[in-house]
Amino acid sequence: MKQRLAHAAVLITILAVCLCLFPTKAYAYLDPGAGSSILQLLIASLLGALYAAKLHWTRIKSFLAKCRGTSVPTRKKSRL
Amino acid sequence: MTESTATVLKHAAIGGSSDRRLPSSFRDPGGFLFVRDGILYRQVNRTYQRHYDLLQDSGLYKELVSRGLLIPHEEVLLDSDSQVAYKTLKPEVVPFVSYPYEWSFSQLQDTALATLQVQKLALRFGMSLKDASAYNVQFRSGRPVLIDTLSFERYAEGAPWVAYRQFCQHFLGPLALMSCVDARLGQLLRIHVDGVPIDLASRLLSWRKYFSFSQFIHLHLHALAQRRFSAKARPTGFRRLSRAGFLGLIDNLETAVRKLRWQPQQTHWAGYYSHNNYQAVAFQEKTRIVADWLDRMVPAVQSIWDFGANTGHFSRLASQRGIFTVSIDADPWCVEMNYQQCCRQGETQLLPLLLDLSNPSAAKGWQNQERMSVLDRGPADLAFALAMVHHLAISNNLPLRKIAEFFSRCCKRLVIEFVPKTDLQVQKMLDTREDIFGDYTQQAFEHEFGQVFSLRERASIVDSGRTLYLMEKVT
Repeated sequence: MKQRLAHAAVLITILAVCLCLFPTKAYAYLDPGAGSSILQLLIASLLGALYAAKLHWTRIKSFLAKCRGTSVPTRKKSRL
Repeated sequence: MTESTATVLKHAAIGGSSDRRLPSSFRDPGGFLFVRDGILYRQVNRTYQRHYDLLQDSGLYKELVSRGLLIPHEEVLLDSDSQVAYKTLKPEVVPFVSYPYEWSFSQLQDTALATLQVQKLALRFGMSLKDASAYNVQFRSGRPVLIDTLSFERYAEGAPWVAYRQFCQHFLGPLALMSCVDARLGQLLRIHVDGVPIDLASRLLSWRKYFSFSQFIHLHLHALAQRRFSAKARPTGFRRLSRAGFLGLIDNLETAVRKLRWQPQQTHWAGYYSHNNYQAVAFQEKTRIVADWLDRMVPAVQSIWDFGANTGHFSRLASQRGIFTVSIDADPWCVEMNYQQCCRQGETQLLPLLLDLSNPSAAKGWQNQERMSVLDRGPADLAFALAMVHHLAISNNLPLRKIAEFFSRCCKRLVIEFVPKTDLQVQKMLDTREDIFGDYTQQAFEHEFGQVFSLRERASIVDSGRTLYLMEKVT
């Protein structure tokens, strides 16, 4: 639990800093979805990387196993 | 189209001309639903032409329909304003329109996953969902299906998902609240027509107590971003959302939804059949009588509403005879168990729904016409009210006359059980309160229901003191 909270704290700090980096004076009123759009842009790289890692997880595991000299059983592919 | 569906359309449509536009179909400039001669059509406007053509030409429509994820339609020729109308579609009609606040946890979860699956397929075919409303998904043959054919738009490389906020409000927020805090919080969807506000979901879900990476991103950080950028435009030259990032977002939302679980406590109602007043013989006898009456009514009865269905024992007597049955209960866990059984057994004629008969779903939304009340969606050909009357009359202080009036408005025929005061269940109810129900007698019951129904059958249930009635509404 402590480790989870520590991870959360690091994550909050990084993302809060990212959010605060955006200037506030240059904007005019827009629809309430603006925050949602900006959040997507902020988290896209992280989620994209996680997704890529998930897709290639079998290959990554095989590579790591090869480095360690052990074999890894193959996994079923995702449905989509 | 069943008779009950036609009735729903009659109630749902407005307008004095022969074409009556559905009052819930006005937000999307791409087209709208209307009813002509009792048949439901969808007009595709010229402004939506390129998106509709892409849906068809890319093969996405065919793929989604073949997977049962999109309602099928046929293109028809109707005389319409060719300046505005591009095509007219005749979609398949779902047997009963239900709403997210009437679904159990797993029903909402399955509709969320179906929406994300549609979005993933759409991206493969160069399109994207332009909205992610839970109201765009309905249950057909037991599984969720997208009913809004105009929900797709050409995918613009680099653009964020316009429906992201709506998905979080309609699906992720309510599901997280139901899973982590209390399943009854799903009822927030009744108050908030466009889904549970993200800041409210974030506030109710303590991230320290229920920490999850996905919830943190999509709810807590989302709420923070909304606060931070609520009155600000996107600056020009802002970063684009890469396709990989888009796919990552959808995948993460899917993981977040899939991981949510609801492990409720056993409720009083969920164990009702196993520890109630029934002797096994009486229960079997009641089942036999209802089944016998159903067998005699099958050709004439196409839709049944089973009020107080519990986990659906009597609903299944009907659905197993091919009659579409809405299995209604006020207990979230009963509805959840009922739905899970439907999924396990691949049942197609049963729709479990969460509804409190003492406070049934009202008409909601703009001009109280966007979402129909329960009564607007009827009448059913037949209703079951088995072991219900004593709960309504004694627990809810409802006069028998008002109960009879309600059933006369929601069904054409009624199978109802009278439970006398000598019954153990009624005795338990009266143990803790003064008996102010002098009018609660079998004679008064027959008199009040006789005002609006005519008696067709009557059968005593052995060893129970209870009586079953089959009634038909007086026209």
